[in-house]
Amino acid sequence: MFGARIKLDKELIARVRRYSEIAGYSSPEEFITHALEKELAKLDGAESEEEIRKRLRGLGYIS
Amino acid sequence: MSGVRLRRLLAAAGLPVVALAALAGCSAGRGEAGGRSVIVLGFDGMDYQMVRHLMAEGRLPNLARLAESGGFAPLETSVPPQSPVAWSEFITGLDAGGHGIFDFVHRDPATMTPYLSTSRAEAAERCVGVGRWKFPVGGSVELLRRGQPFWEVLEEHGVESWIVRMPANFPPSGTASRELSGMGTPDILGSPGEFAFYTSELFAFEDESISGGEIYPLDYWQGTAEGTLYGPPDPCQPGEPQLSTEFSVYVDAERPVAKLVVGEEQRILEVGEWSDWVPVAFPLPLGELPVAARFYLKAVRPELELYVTPFQIDPASPAMPISTPDGFAAELMTPTGRYYTQGMPEDTKALEAGVLDRDEFLAQAEFTGRQFIEQYEWVLDRFESGFLFYYFGNLDQVSHVLWQTLDPGHPAYDAERDPRYADVIPGIYEQLDAVVGATLERIGDDTTLVVMSDHGFTSWRRVMHLNEWLKERGYLVLEDPDRPDPGLFRNVDWSRTRAYGLGLNGLYLNLAGRERDGIVPPAERQALLEQIARELLATADPATGEPAVTEAFFSEQYRDRGYLEIGPDLQVGYAKGTRGSGKSALGDFTGEVFSDNLEDWPGDHCMDHRTVPGVLLSNRPLSRPVGRLTDLPGALVAEFGIAQFPRADKLAAR
Repeated sequence: MFGARIKLDKELIARVRRYSEIAGYSSPEEFITHALEKELAKLDGAESEEEIRKRLRGLGYIS
Repeated sequence: MSGVRLRRLLAAAGLPVVALAALAGCSAGRGEAGGRSVIVLGFDGMDYQMVRHLMAEGRLPNLARLAESGGFAPLETSVPPQSPVAWSEFITGLDAGGHGIFDFVHRDPATMTPYLSTSRAEAAERCVGVGRWKFPVGGSVELLRRGQPFWEVLEEHGVESWIVRMPANFPPSGTASRELSGMGTPDILGSPGEFAFYTSELFAFEDESISGGEIYPLDYWQGTAEGTLYGPPDPCQPGEPQLSTEFSVYVDAERPVAKLVVGEEQRILEVGEWSDWVPVAFPLPLGELPVAARFYLKAVRPELELYVTPFQIDPASPAMPISTPDGFAAELMTPTGRYYTQGMPEDTKALEAGVLDRDEFLAQAEFTGRQFIEQYEWVLDRFESGFLFYYFGNLDQVSHVLWQTLDPGHPAYDAERDPRYADVIPGIYEQLDAVVGATLERIGDDTTLVVMSDHGFTSWRRVMHLNEWLKERGYLVLEDPDRPDPGLFRNVDWSRTRAYGLGLNGLYLNLAGRERDGIVPPAERQALLEQIARELLATADPATGEPAVTEAFFSEQYRDRGYLEIGPDLQVGYAKGTRGSGKSALGDFTGEVFSDNLEDWPGDHCMDHRTVPGVLLSNRPLSRPVGRLTDLPGALVAEFGIAQFPRADKLAAR
């Protein structure tokens, strides 16, 4: 399933299988990859906002 | 990865970089506008009342000479009275509606993300492989100030123009004979200025929120320390690691002295001593990225502490465009060697963080001020005729951090410590007065000398947190009021928020069709704004009982048009002595509407613009009356017999 093994509980795996089919994913792997990418993109976005904030705070006017 | 960084890497790697602007054609200096010369000294933050006061005490003899021979008057500043806005008015003769700079900070309504208003960096489109190396391609940096600079018109009429350290002119316009960019020019990291502080003390500053710099641990053992200097990220490497280079410090076993080694550079420093400019090279796959920094040895025992200035774009070999022609930045090194290219070099952030104490900060600021005075005098000796502008920013930055020494009623006033510093700010006024004196000695009768400032100054005692005020009155709603504030509006429920504050004076409506999650129908905009303005003007500070806001300026009140959609719907003019909170400016929430200003930033000017006028003095009356900043460039151009500025086609947009 993954290059590196990740342990998920059985009930969650069952739900992933069920919903990946309902949502039209070609496989549970594709569903999990998509879900993880979506979450990681959010975190990447937050990081870049922090970078922006840090840069703006470099102005003496902004504490 | 910013385009600024990409340009830097490209240039450092020796790859071709497309010039942002063509060099101006060299004029003969006198041209069709005749043999007149005009010199303008821009003293950022010089306050009208303060000049009057010190002049009456006889401390400003040279400014007094100007007042007698040519005139001395308050100069109405911009709305809002912030430096990038005001200097853009001076450059273009247009107000913010025409030049498009409304605040230090703007926001993108599509993403609700704030950004610095005067320039924008575009990331590289791609990385190109050359052998086993990759290089960024396609990055750029763009000046966002609109409108025509007055010197462009001078050059068109054959008047050679030297524009040195002009704010809101990065990257330089490319249309003056000689230019060096000023405020708004970043350090090599693309920020307004990010210092580095190295300490061997474990967990130093661990619980403190440091802005404007980074704290790094130093491995210090038996008199030797090894550390790493960090540059910008490399966009073409996986994970974009920061460029870096190592340095070493060898501490004398007995004396408070250390040897600093960075690449091939070595300096011996005593504790409390600043180095000269040290060239630093960040290695790249092909070539290197040249920067410059000064080092300050703060302590060697029991802990080793070393402060490093923000890495400057090296004027000897600029990795970004900072001058016109490109070689002018290096030419300006003649009198002093390397110099600060960063737009606002006085390190107020290191003072705020406690990395530099007050005396150390003042030593750094004094060095900065002295270096630019020497540079100015060198420029003045070489300037033959035409137009010369030179900018001095030292007074503004020191006034920001020491104003309480002039105001015993300030909540941060320290009766024991502050009286000793009460003469620092007046001393800088005297220093600038001496610059005027030196100029008067060197110029002939055919030269007009103008001294001007972008805004005045006053004490900043009370803080108003605009977004808290909006929240209290139901104009702004949080998603979860009990959640710790994540900042940057990230806890705001935009589906129920009608207005928000951003920047130091800006108030925006959450307008449908403009903001990402706008809810206020355009038809309701005016009525809602008027309602908010009425309530703001009726708000009293509970601590003083005095009005907190004395000016509510609607965007429609700008005389000029063209870029109104960029700016706020309403500019909040805080009462003299009150300013908008720096935290609220970036969408942070503090839990209180008003507070005492206890920060290391006791003086300011971002208030009701009518309360903080700048100054205008000249050695002879100008041929045109000047009441406000927007009048000044037209009057300067008129000194050369040029009838109209801004030009008719620019005025048509009004």
